[in-house]
Amino acid sequence: MLASIDWLKQYVDIDVTPEELAEKLTRVGLEVESVNYLGEGIEGVITGKVTQIERHPDSDHLWVCMMDVGGPEILQILTGAQNVHQYDMVPVAVVGSHLPNGMTLKKAKMRGLDSFGMLCSASELGIDAKLLLPEQREGIFILPPDTPIGVDIKKVLGLDDVVLDIDLTANRGDCTNIIGLAREAAAVLGKELRLPDMSVKEAAGGNAADMAAIEVQCKDLCSRFAVRVLKNIKIGPSPEWMQKHLRACGMRPISNVVDVTNYVMLELGQPMHAYDYDKVGGHKLIVRRAAEGEKLVTLDSQERILTPDMITIADTEHAVGLGGVMGGLETEVTGATVNVMLEAATFNGPSIRRTSKALGLRSEASGRFERGVDTILNHNALNRAVHLLEQMGACETVCGIVEDYPEEVKPAVIRVTPKAINTRIGVEIAADEMVDILKKLQFGVEYDGNELVVTAPSWRYDISCDADISEEIARMHSYDKIESHNPELPLVQGRQAVIDDVCEEIEDYLVAAGLSEVMTYSFINPNNFDKMLLGESDSRRAAIELMNPLSDEFKVMRTSMLPGMLNTAAYNQARQADSVKIFEIGKVFLPKALPLKELPEEKQVLCAVLTGRRSALNWTESKDEVDFYDMKGIVEGLLETVQLTSVKFVPVAQPYLHPGKSCAIEADGKVIGWFGELHPTAAENFDLNGSVCVLELEVAPLVATATHVPQFEHLPKYPATSRDIAVVVPLEVATEELENVIRANAGELLKKVQVFDVYTGKQVEAGYKSMAFNLTFQADDRTLTDEEIDAVIKNVVEKVGEAYKAKLRD
Amino acid sequence: MKEELQALKEQALAELATVASVDVLKDLRVKYLGKKGQMTDILRGMGSLPAEERPKVGQMVNEVKKILEEAIAAKTEVLEAEALKQRLAGEKVDITLPGRKPQCGHLHPITLTMREIKKIFMRMGFEVMEGPEIESDYYNFEALNLPKDHPARDMQDTFYITEDILLRTQTSPMQARKMQASVPDSPIRMISPGTVYRNDYDATHSPMFHQVEGLVLGKDISLADLKGTLETFCKEMFGSSVSIRLRPSYFPFTEPSAEVDISCVICGGKGCRVCKNSGWLEILGSGMVHPNVLRMSGYDPEKTSGYAFGMGVERIAMLKYGIDDLRLFFENDLRFIRQFK
Repeated sequence: MLASIDWLKQYVDIDVTPEELAEKLTRVGLEVESVNYLGEGIEGVITGKVTQIERHPDSDHLWVCMMDVGGPEILQILTGAQNVHQYDMVPVAVVGSHLPNGMTLKKAKMRGLDSFGMLCSASELGIDAKLLLPEQREGIFILPPDTPIGVDIKKVLGLDDVVLDIDLTANRGDCTNIIGLAREAAAVLGKELRLPDMSVKEAAGGNAADMAAIEVQCKDLCSRFAVRVLKNIKIGPSPEWMQKHLRACGMRPISNVVDVTNYVMLELGQPMHAYDYDKVGGHKLIVRRAAEGEKLVTLDSQERILTPDMITIADTEHAVGLGGVMGGLETEVTGATVNVMLEAATFNGPSIRRTSKALGLRSEASGRFERGVDTILNHNALNRAVHLLEQMGACETVCGIVEDYPEEVKPAVIRVTPKAINTRIGVEIAADEMVDILKKLQFGVEYDGNELVVTAPSWRYDISCDADISEEIARMHSYDKIESHNPELPLVQGRQAVIDDVCEEIEDYLVAAGLSEVMTYSFINPNNFDKMLLGESDSRRAAIELMNPLSDEFKVMRTSMLPGMLNTAAYNQARQADSVKIFEIGKVFLPKALPLKELPEEKQVLCAVLTGRRSALNWTESKDEVDFYDMKGIVEGLLETVQLTSVKFVPVAQPYLHPGKSCAIEADGKVIGWFGELHPTAAENFDLNGSVCVLELEVAPLVATATHVPQFEHLPKYPATSRDIAVVVPLEVATEELENVIRANAGELLKKVQVFDVYTGKQVEAGYKSMAFNLTFQADDRTLTDEEIDAVIKNVVEKVGEAYKAKLRD
Repeated sequence: MKEELQALKEQALAELATVASVDVLKDLRVKYLGKKGQMTDILRGMGSLPAEERPKVGQMVNEVKKILEEAIAAKTEVLEAEALKQRLAGEKVDITLPGRKPQCGHLHPITLTMREIKKIFMRMGFEVMEGPEIESDYYNFEALNLPKDHPARDMQDTFYITEDILLRTQTSPMQARKMQASVPDSPIRMISPGTVYRNDYDATHSPMFHQVEGLVLGKDISLADLKGTLETFCKEMFGSSVSIRLRPSYFPFTEPSAEVDISCVICGGKGCRVCKNSGWLEILGSGMVHPNVLRMSGYDPEKTSGYAFGMGVERIAMLKYGIDDLRLFFENDLRFIRQFK
């Protein structure tokens, strides 16, 4: 809401600066976002009359104007604009004056002739073009002919005004207008509120009820509908003082009748509409629900198809307007209009909201109805509008108001004790002060020594319970006077869920392991599923779709963390990151059925991606790229961190993983995740270069063991002995298998088996690999002898040899 | 013979003085004191001495031996120390070469901020509870006193999945969920952190962001209690010199409602670009839980009152770390993330 301070001053004495007023209003809940000085930068620009105009002798576009600016001399000023005529009144920037763009006017010479200033266009005066009539936007701003000469242009155009931009909260529909704001200002400044003149002459005589009829058929959607009938309308421009205020509040002046309806809406908060009386069939307006498929051409010349939940204003034949949203073209007031029906009504907010949303028509009027309009206002607005039109000599009014007001709207009456209010706020405010505050806000209030009986004013439809009263008291008393206090509640332990602790443990581990955390969007582009090479029937393609996504990029809720992570890796690669190691714990959204009938499963998943160099560029480190075993190591370390020991790595078929360099993580016979190198085709699809390793792992299965408290085991008393063996086995033999054979044949003295070398190459026959193991033996009750160990090693080597035709290398 | 011994001693000591290496020193020892050394040669002549002279000469031999042994030992020590010094000097490394630093990663600034917020409230006895991100219209709006077609729904542009299922626009649904899961009118002190979504994307809005909701219910809990709790939080989060102020506002689920401002953390309240010269920064929304919200979730507003608040984690992180562009949080440029510890 834009509020002109000049306009506010008509109704309340403001003896503070605009900034002080802004602060005071903000502190009672009307947040002033900015204080705007309209004519900021303009200085010394005055009105002037073109006494003479002729072409420049040496130019085909310049004009030489002789300007009367009220001083003793006539000024010669040159202009390139083509819309200036003799006797026009225009804004003149004389030598030494300042314009909003920072320019200071100097004497100039154009093609040999002196120019002692400049004639100004609207844009040179900093006026927003959309607030002007089309003919005012181009060329020099031509002022009304009765404008006095030599007057400060800021006064003439209202540019001396200051406008507050107020961010109104949804509950304060009563403040969407100058009077509402003046009322609040009066309360905070301790001043009296003056009301606008609403007296009417009704010079046309007669009786409106004989000339027009009203019928409200949908009483649930329209609580009051009132009209006045105006005769002998003279359409023309509205007076400059009205245009100034309209422009200051962000509305474009159009013509007197339209301007008055807008003016009254801005002043009182009541949206209004004017119909061409002679075009309303049967001179009757009916408020009803639209018939299914009913059509109406609205003021913007668009044909609208209506539905039964839209409030329609119809004459005896067909729809002539959408109540509270937009009028119809057919009954529009035009230059040819002679008689007018002026409407002020109260429509149901939610219905207006649905209609304007459905038709994409949000307007100043619909916004006010959504927040609610005071039914008492209907008459006030009609009278105020008529008063203004009569004052301009633009109409003669027929006596009386015709209306349908099915059921009187009763104000809320609330009973509350001062103690209850004080308890809610946590203060000690005396009952007298409460009464005083409420009266200032024009609430009806009675206090019987025990209870306050409060009657909300008709415009405060947001007031419905004692909590609302306590807010009124608190905000006017000042939130600053509330002393901080701490709630008195039983002593309890603050805590979070175990899974949150485990997530933090995992995050900390991964950070220590060199990975950085990222945060990717929960919604993804469904084309990522193709990039991931998912099969047509892959369940991950069954993603939850948004009805109103921002774009395809944010269209479906992710069923896999991977696309977001891979895109993030690619984003960093494209920014020259030579090593990208990232992870995120996030949710994937798995619907039970589509379309969604119930809330989906939200599963917490850890996803990690490694690409590029294994270690940061350093003189001492190798320059190798990450591979499968980097990710495996991270996984193994992670499982150790959460103490999940009963895990198997088994083959997996994920379309986006390298078939030979990937595996699933199986715990208790259930696959809980997988990792490996990304399939080169998938990597290409995501614009990733080099080797890319990925991990996806459910978090929930990690929780149970993570909280185990490790139990101490005694340290061994006798020394361990270690031996190395190297065997040559066929390439396809898995290390784990080989280890199992070793363990099975080494007996219980064997405590640990570690692979320390794997070799393929010149010294080993093709199709074979050499593997070196370090075996650690230890007994609890004695120091082992070489003979004992030799015998065990001999047995192990024999058995491995038998199993794989392997041989011990020298 | 005495003269011989004396000469030997002097010769040996003179030679010793010129020795420069441990190896030469070893040779020298052999030469004079070894089994076939010069001392042995001299001792061989002992037999030809008169018997009464022998003890005297014997004593002298021992003295010379001892002197030479000690001189050699002393020299050895000097030479060894010198040799060690030389070796160490040769082993000198370039201390300006970078070390083998373990490569640690970094947590996202939102996580760092979220953890800190949680920690502060947990210390105050708050329970942390999380709720679903895909939520019903009922919990996200209706149970919070926001019926369908309420104009305040405009405050939050919503992503819908169906007419009744949506992406939560706030963490507030946990207020209703928590109350409904509790014994009616039992006290509650909880925060609910999480991801929320709004259909808005520009320089200052992200379609996904994070909030922390708070709810405190009990007997006679007041707006003053709210102020106390949030003051404690802000001082813990931004430092004890920070002050807060409450400004009347409107949220459908609280009454009275308040925006909470903190004194500008950049300029200390004097006025700067960040606080638009006001000296204050808006940091969270709050208020006394609306009686309708209590009633709808089974609490009796006559018995229970309390407050709720909600804060944007990105906003707090931006103020805390001086980040000036919201979009950085979700671009995940590692050069950005690596700045936070």
